[in-house]
Amino acid sequence: MSDKATLSLQARRAFLGRLGLAATCTGAAMGAGVLGAVQSATGKSATPAGPAQDGPSAGSGKTSASGSGSFPTPDYDWTKHQWAFGVDATKCIGCLRCVEACKRENHVPANAHQFRTWVERYAYLEGEDKVRIDSQQDPVNIAASGSEREYRFANRYKDAKVEKAFFVPKLCNQCTHPACVQVCPVGATYRTKDGVVLIDQEYCIGCRYCVQACPYGARYFDEEKGVADKCSWCYHRITKNLEPACVEVCPVGARVFGDTRDKQSPISLFIRNNRVQVLRPESGNAPNVFYVGIDKEVN
Amino acid sequence: LTWNTNMPKHIFRLLCLLLGVVVVALAAPRILTVDSFHRFGHYRADSVTQIAAREPAYQTASYCLTCHVKRVAQWSANSHKSVTCEVCHGAAEGHPDNGKLPSAKDTVKLCTLCHEAMPGRPHTQPQIVLAQHNPYAASGQQCAACHNPHAPKIAAGLIKVTGNAALGKQRAESCADCHGADGNSPNNTWPSLAGQNAAYLARILAAYKSGDQQDVAMTPLAKELEDADIQNLAAFYAGSGCKAKPQAKPVGDAELGKTVAKNCAGCHGETGVTGNPAWPSLAAQRPGYTVNALKAFRSGLRKDPMMAGVSRGLSDADISNLAAYYAVQACPPVTQGRKTP
Repeated sequence: MSDKATLSLQARRAFLGRLGLAATCTGAAMGAGVLGAVQSATGKSATPAGPAQDGPSAGSGKTSASGSGSFPTPDYDWTKHQWAFGVDATKCIGCLRCVEACKRENHVPANAHQFRTWVERYAYLEGEDKVRIDSQQDPVNIAASGSEREYRFANRYKDAKVEKAFFVPKLCNQCTHPACVQVCPVGATYRTKDGVVLIDQEYCIGCRYCVQACPYGARYFDEEKGVADKCSWCYHRITKNLEPACVEVCPVGARVFGDTRDKQSPISLFIRNNRVQVLRPESGNAPNVFYVGIDKEVN
Repeated sequence: LTWNTNMPKHIFRLLCLLLGVVVVALAAPRILTVDSFHRFGHYRADSVTQIAAREPAYQTASYCLTCHVKRVAQWSANSHKSVTCEVCHGAAEGHPDNGKLPSAKDTVKLCTLCHEAMPGRPHTQPQIVLAQHNPYAASGQQCAACHNPHAPKIAAGLIKVTGNAALGKQRAESCADCHGADGNSPNNTWPSLAGQNAAYLARILAAYKSGDQQDVAMTPLAKELEDADIQNLAAFYAGSGCKAKPQAKPVGDAELGKTVAKNCAGCHGETGVTGNPAWPSLAAQRPGYTVNALKAFRSGLRKDPMMAGVSRGLSDADISNLAAYYAVQACPPVTQGRKTP
């Protein structure tokens, strides 16, 4: 009996020994592989800058896919731009053409609840302490438009005694220190070198941390795709030398866009010629949408 | 395999296991993440390229300009030039391959998006109270019936008339054969000019002179007019008294014309006496002329963006009824030197 037991114990030990040996061999092989991968990775990250500096003749091999070293497209180099956005609330007429254009341009779900950009109305009525705020998704305004796909502000204060009222367009602030990027667990959102916070919808796992983290409520969750989404300053347009769709359609010039590196660009002039402010500076996000003509209640 | 140290075997195996775990932990991210992930930072560089590669939906006015040269020229020279094509017509993506872009049917709905008087809109924005500005909006009176969306200001083409009526009277002697000595046409097919809006007269004469408007009889005559002549003639006819001509046998039915004329009332007034000097009064106009003018607008011989639109839907019967209706209306009140805002 005891002999048999010893025999089976020895057999098991022998098996485990062989298993250990196999594990070690695999580990060593993988380790060598990793070392190679790390080396090739560091080699790769070193090359993109290389050919551009060495001149076109040096541009050979794998990096030629990105043209003459310009990224993300052959015609657009993101290291040469730094975008910023301006909103002149004193000009906004609340026509909401920007909101509809944004929905169309960026395939935002056609409902009255999800927006990449939106417009808020602030109305101070006589004898009231608190400001009244509504946006295009307010049920009264949806009733006025008659559809969840079209937007208009209902003339709800026409018979009221309005002390002061104004419209404020809102959008993603493309912060320099974005809280949304910090909380993303999978690297699906990031800030580009030209100053836009983008979302990689292929990598987004739909955890919605970023939606919660944004102090401006700029993000929404697209239930159909299962990913977070937000304003990208129409990154596909600005990299083609076009303005964002909302700026393109604004009939009164309330939205200003441009490159801060160009001192004569609309945004540089806007920032230089106006006393501008940002929303919630205390949040530490360093937002890049600059406002003119807003009140202390706007944040 | 021989083992010469004093390390117990089970510790050795544990170390092996640990090594395996470390190796897997190091290798897995390399194998499972794509190549471009750490290229610029903790994200996939390829996703930037993918986002940047998307095609824009809004094409900008320069895209429209490639075909619609005249429309763009008119639009860009007028007050709506800050409202780009795609604001009203929608994104041009897929146009013209996928067909026409829409023109808004309900211009009241479209225009009030920006122009409805509303607290919060800056004072520089032109705003209207719909009930006062267009009381017929509920019964379908469109903004585009009076305003050309590409050149919306009605007074934009308004010519200021400062001519001398006495000099105009002398110059008008050569016009008297057709239009009557005092501007009351002696026959049915040539227009009466007496009591007409001076700004309108000046605009039409200038159009004949420049060739924008053509007429076998008028074009050669108008070419000889000096700018001062046009001013003087307009002042003379505008101040001349209008006389209605009793009609021998009316071609159309004035009663039926009255119903059709409701569509014209927004610009030409309910009885053909317009409130805006840019447009002609039609009251007491010779019916043969009114018929010819409307048919010319309908066929495109006479060009006017507004009239082209509204005359398109008129039948021959509608036109003669309209002419009969306006012919029997009372003359516009004559005021020496009509108001020109």
